[in-house]
Amino acid sequence: MNGIHDMGGMQGLGEIGYKENEPGFHEPWEVRVFALVQAMRSGGLRPYIERIPAADYLRMSYYERWYTALVTRLIESGIITRAEVKSGRADPASVKATPALTPAVARELLFRTPRTEQDIELTPRFHVGDRVRGRTIHPTTHTRMPRYTRGKTGVVERDRGVFNLPDSERVSAEPKPQHVYLIHFTAHELWGEEASAHDSLYIDMWEDYLEPA
Amino acid sequence: MSQRHSDHAQDHTDVPSDPALRVKALESLLVEKGLVDPAALEGLVDTYEHKVGPRNGAQVVARAWVDPAYKQRLLDDGTAAIAEFGFSGWQGEKLTVVENTPSVHNVIVCTLCSCYPWPVLGLPPTWYKSSAYRSRTVIDPRGVLSDLGLDLPDDVEVRVWDSNAASRYIVLPERPQGTESISEADLARLVTRDAMIGVAKVASPRVGGGA
Repeated sequence: MNGIHDMGGMQGLGEIGYKENEPGFHEPWEVRVFALVQAMRSGGLRPYIERIPAADYLRMSYYERWYTALVTRLIESGIITRAEVKSGRADPASVKATPALTPAVARELLFRTPRTEQDIELTPRFHVGDRVRGRTIHPTTHTRMPRYTRGKTGVVERDRGVFNLPDSERVSAEPKPQHVYLIHFTAHELWGEEASAHDSLYIDMWEDYLEPA
Repeated sequence: MSQRHSDHAQDHTDVPSDPALRVKALESLLVEKGLVDPAALEGLVDTYEHKVGPRNGAQVVARAWVDPAYKQRLLDDGTAAIAEFGFSGWQGEKLTVVENTPSVHNVIVCTLCSCYPWPVLGLPPTWYKSSAYRSRTVIDPRGVLSDLGLDLPDDVEVRVWDSNAASRYIVLPERPQGTESISEADLARLVTRDAMIGVAKVASPRVGGGA
């Protein structure tokens, strides 16, 4: 989706607000939203965050976006209702659930690295050294292909292995595993002659985002 | 406080505008419904507030500085070499370590959201997630680095890593001069999170003081 979240290369978005040694969390509620998302095993919030309208997205703080996305997801999945969010109380008629995450499982999961790489043998369409171009596509829902790579030519630097395509539009019921490649673009190619001739950008891209150049 | 209603304001117009109260209400709802175990939640909060952070990454960097064989393993397969320290977990499936040298400077960004190597750096600081950092770092990395206090000579190659797919990235900073006789543990104390994101260099230790 060509949404506000896809902001690579935009200008005029204010100050970075850099602070040395700044902590990851500022207010106690921030880490609690973070933990609620993990406790609900509710990863994969990105599509919900990206649906937040641009003006709201820019106004919200980072963990406010997480809260909004989590609530939207839980309501749309039928896990909680709007009325329950409004009242803060469970519908007396609802069935009490069993927590997805117990303390013991939480401790184990925290330091077990999840594996999303797929053990599937697929013939790669591209190889290290190939020149490839970012396809000019405009998916209307979740994608991991930034706008600034579209129509730009780069070189395959590395084959990352096989991962499921994350694009909502292209993946309905069936997963779509494919190779992911590390692509090298020169700054000149992406940003024009005024960019530094020495500089470059590296990004991992799914096979469907690329075409031979 | 300004209005902080979400875009889904029509969904919950009656919820408090204060995020702390809204989150508290959501938490108690999820606990009441049996969806969240309070003890599991406290474990998660404690872990991500106190146990996971850039000190992990600093140990990895210091080891790479003193042990050439480890450094090679780290650059060849970051995930496996980092797992030697027992650092693993969410957002750590494929860790790629990129090395700064006198002629190459690497900097990490996630333009689409906030991808970040949690097992070695913890959760990202606010500035890393800011619209300005995410938007500008790809088109004007030298300007961003300069704003953050790092001016690079023109002949240094800047490599920007937009981490938003399979891999998470961490920068192996240059070992500062004057640290030849410093122990691995003391070296680790010199390494900052910002150097491992690539927006700073590791400073030489000052005589009689810290970094």
